[in-house]
Amino acid sequence: MADARQQRRPSGLVVALAFAIAVGTAIALVVLAVALRTSDDTTAPTPTPVVDLTGIPQAGLVLGSPEARVTLIEYADLQCPACRVYTESYFPEIVERYVRPGRVKTEFRGLAFIGPDSETALRYVLAASLQNRLWQLQEALYRNQGDENSGWVTEELVRRLAAEIPGLDADRVVTDAGSNEVDALVAQAAAQADAAEVGGTPTLAIQVGDADPFSLQPGIGLSDLTAALDDALGS
Amino acid sequence: MSDRTLRVLAAGVAAAGVGVAGYLTWAHYGSGSVVCPVGGGCETVQESEYAEVAGVPVALLGLGAYVVLLALIVWDAPIARLAAAALSLIGLVFSTYLLVVQASVIEAFCIWCLANDVVIAPALAVVTSLRLRS
Repeated sequence: MADARQQRRPSGLVVALAFAIAVGTAIALVVLAVALRTSDDTTAPTPTPVVDLTGIPQAGLVLGSPEARVTLIEYADLQCPACRVYTESYFPEIVERYVRPGRVKTEFRGLAFIGPDSETALRYVLAASLQNRLWQLQEALYRNQGDENSGWVTEELVRRLAAEIPGLDADRVVTDAGSNEVDALVAQAAAQADAAEVGGTPTLAIQVGDADPFSLQPGIGLSDLTAALDDALGS
Repeated sequence: MSDRTLRVLAAGVAAAGVGVAGYLTWAHYGSGSVVCPVGGGCETVQESEYAEVAGVPVALLGLGAYVVLLALIVWDAPIARLAAAALSLIGLVFSTYLLVVQASVIEAFCIWCLANDVVIAPALAVVTSLRLRS
């Protein structure tokens, strides 16, 4: 039986044919990639709030009791699909198990790295933080997240969402979004993210008391997240 | 350079490709979060609409291609060498497309993708083509 390695080498014609097929396949693949790029798998709006924040203390960027010793810090970009998944899938349970009972507070640190709509959205939610309604508006924006940098974050959208949030003055949100106060909040979060070497979103970190926060593993699952919070509460 | 050295080199580069594509695939299905040791555009690139083709992550396509390449390099029959060179050429063209997309459409670079597009894919195309001559 002939060893495979001693088979005849393909002729020049066969090699040329193989390379021509390869180039053709590659071009077809590129055309397919452009034509079939995924753009709409996560952009359908979620019609109703995924979590009820009524009655939970809120001050600026922080949701939850100021007395809570453990803080769950969330670095997020409002255009980031994984951040939307975190908010829609994990956040409601975190709120009900830890934040509403006053055991944990959670702090939003917004980033704007995906593009112009990230910064527009960030400015609106930070403006809402000046009325202590950041968490309601960011939840509503995630539910209505559009295609990246498609211009989906409009004043009209924000006004519509703000109108559904009790206690939130939409006119003030629109005005404050361009304020120096919001400029300072944007810069503050960016500096905190740089210091924490945040490489992607969502990035979650836990702070116990005044100790330095420790970042959780990227992509942490809900059960590992709750285990980390339980550890922090027990420490 | 001897054929044996080229073969070991090809296997090493393909294994690096498996590593990079495997990590990006894991990150894609795990969370969408990618550790970005240099730059900071990994998340932007991974979350862009160009990161999937018909719902299949580009990283997964790359992982499949590198696994097949590794198998072809191990097999090492003349037809396997030709198939490896042809597959590497497809990878090189597709990587060039991904590089252009990062530079001109997404306007962000992912260091893991750059490692693949600028180092691994071209190196594999060169090495597997050179092996056709021996």
